[in-house]
Amino acid sequence: MKFGNLLKKELRELLTKQAIISMVFTMVLLIVMGQVIGGAMQDADNSAEDAANNIALCNQDDSEFTKNMLENMENTNVALVELESDDYAAELERLDRKSLIIIPQGFGDSIVNQRKVGEVKFVNTLKGGGFSSTMSTATAAEAVSSIEKACSDELMRNDYGVTDAEIELAKNPVSTTEYTVHKGRTAAASSAGISAVLMLQSMIAPFAIFFLLLMAAQMIMTAISTEKIDKTLETLLSAPVPRMTVLMAKMTAAVITALLNALFMMIGFVFYMLGMAGSAAGEMADAVTGGPMVSEAAGAVTSTAQAMAELGLALSPADYILFAIQLFLTLAIGLAISLILGAMATDVKSVQTLTMPIMIAVMIPFFVSMFMDVNDMSPVFRTIIYAIPFTHTYTALTNLMNGDMIIFWGGLAYQIVFFAVCMFLAVKMFTTDKLFTMSFSAESMNKKRKGKNTAAQE
Amino acid sequence: MATVLEVQGLSKKYPKKENLAADGVSFTVNEGEIFALIGPNGAGKTTTIRMISTLIQPTSGDALVAGRSVVKEPDKVRENITYLPDEAGAYKTMTGINYLEFMASLFAKDKDTLDKFVERGKAICGLGDRLSDKIGGYSRGMIRKLLLARAVMTEPKLAIMDEATSGLDVINALEIRKMIKNLAREQHMAFLLSSHNMLEIEYVSDRVGIMTGGKLMVVGAIDELKERYEAANLEEVFERVVKDNEVR
Repeated sequence: MKFGNLLKKELRELLTKQAIISMVFTMVLLIVMGQVIGGAMQDADNSAEDAANNIALCNQDDSEFTKNMLENMENTNVALVELESDDYAAELERLDRKSLIIIPQGFGDSIVNQRKVGEVKFVNTLKGGGFSSTMSTATAAEAVSSIEKACSDELMRNDYGVTDAEIELAKNPVSTTEYTVHKGRTAAASSAGISAVLMLQSMIAPFAIFFLLLMAAQMIMTAISTEKIDKTLETLLSAPVPRMTVLMAKMTAAVITALLNALFMMIGFVFYMLGMAGSAAGEMADAVTGGPMVSEAAGAVTSTAQAMAELGLALSPADYILFAIQLFLTLAIGLAISLILGAMATDVKSVQTLTMPIMIAVMIPFFVSMFMDVNDMSPVFRTIIYAIPFTHTYTALTNLMNGDMIIFWGGLAYQIVFFAVCMFLAVKMFTTDKLFTMSFSAESMNKKRKGKNTAAQE
Repeated sequence: MATVLEVQGLSKKYPKKENLAADGVSFTVNEGEIFALIGPNGAGKTTTIRMISTLIQPTSGDALVAGRSVVKEPDKVRENITYLPDEAGAYKTMTGINYLEFMASLFAKDKDTLDKFVERGKAICGLGDRLSDKIGGYSRGMIRKLLLARAVMTEPKLAIMDEATSGLDVINALEIRKMIKNLAREQHMAFLLSSHNMLEIEYVSDRVGIMTGGKLMVVGAIDELKERYEAANLEEVFERVVKDNEVR
């Protein structure tokens, strides 16, 4: 009964209206950002399509070379038009097009007879800034590039009597079938595709761990320090409640709130990814859940998922349970450290200062695991990074996927020992008078520093 | 009257401090008695009170609350005391009634006792309908009344109060003093108070202990002390005791 009441009280303190609004706001913000960015990318795609339909080509050259070249040109969306004047702005408006390519009189003659480069005029309407305008300009430039390629092909046909099949062979003499090898297993799939999925997967887990840890740590630090500063902790601890019950209620409430926070955050993040790049997020979701691909781009994606399974890179339900255990341990370690640090605070300023060590310990492995493989680092750096208990959870998914079980189990054992030490210290703090006799004040630290500086100056 | 609190040579030394914060403090408090510890800042009043409240552990000595040792049986001591710290707050997100219910749930062993405690707390605090409001919107006086009600609603054998009326206006302070006196006289509850306010202590206490430099210099009934030090009031007694100690 006492634990239930204490837990209810802790949850009421942590899950305030403001906290819930902030959780929902973060989720909605991520969803909206995903939609906005996704929309912008869709707009860019549409502009590229529009741009392809907005190109007009005027051929003023009557040579056989140009005629044949245009017949064999790959870009078929270009509309052939006649110009009535040299006023390009007026002509584009009359033709209702954004880009205009002009092949002037003598173009074929220059290439075939005079053996000089032929000049093409390329007129583009400036649409303003933004991604979509860049895309339409790039698409129009592609049309010019098609003319160049068609001219090269035509030259080969004319001068060397080469057939279309020979031209094709000359242009693409190599065809590739890709295989990926991992830990002695081989799969017929592109390693780039698998790497992309692994990268997405290695992004989402650290992201979740990072926010989960930071939020939980900050929550419990603020909660415990506020109780200490307001002296409600003195009232609570002089009541007939076992100290361990008080401690456990605080930690349980922080875990529940942190998980709730993470849930909102992850929903937002998944929608953000889905909004930004549908197929990439689908692939990522598949990699995370291990389920079959249901994305529209079925062919390529399914083969990547199958290849990952063949290479032993797909995670089993047991792997996810192991990962969850490690995640829980990390969270528990973070909470125990935060509890100890928070209990030392004597004012709001010192809470901020005391948050720093835990933030640094959470951020270092986050960035390291995002940008490099910890197992590939030099032994010294690897030991330093692995000494931070949170690192083992950041790298857990990769280790499980790669079958690096010695590192995984070693990490788990290290975390259990670390957690036991932290809990021992937290329990010691709560069951003795350390909670009230140990303190850290930002103000007294500043005074000490100032004192040292003054002494040095003297 | 039975002895509720028996303090036996309590001492406390904080880490990295040269002097003892409390140095061999001994006194007793009886049932229905209001005992006050008075002294200048840093005299050791709060340290002594915190040791009796089981929040900090004595370096040496002991204190028995209803026969239970703060050193050996702190859990049992907590069943017999309530503690109201100086300038304490309450959980701002709770309503007044939620707070009383929550605190009562930590002391009550069954639902009936809990309801009895809460009803008592509601009557003592006198906050009426405002008990349904969030504590975040309460004035300092309202919070102090709520905390005082919380401290006495469970009918502890010993209620420990550090600066019970600090920061309160005259009317609120008077109400709280009356409340403490009534509870001691009618309910035979024992009180251990600490305060800087000599007027308050003179009005409310039966006996006082004057502390300075961690030591309890004098203990006695107020009239007895006034006579001993030929002083007109407690302030003068206090002044003489502190000066005597400085001279020595």
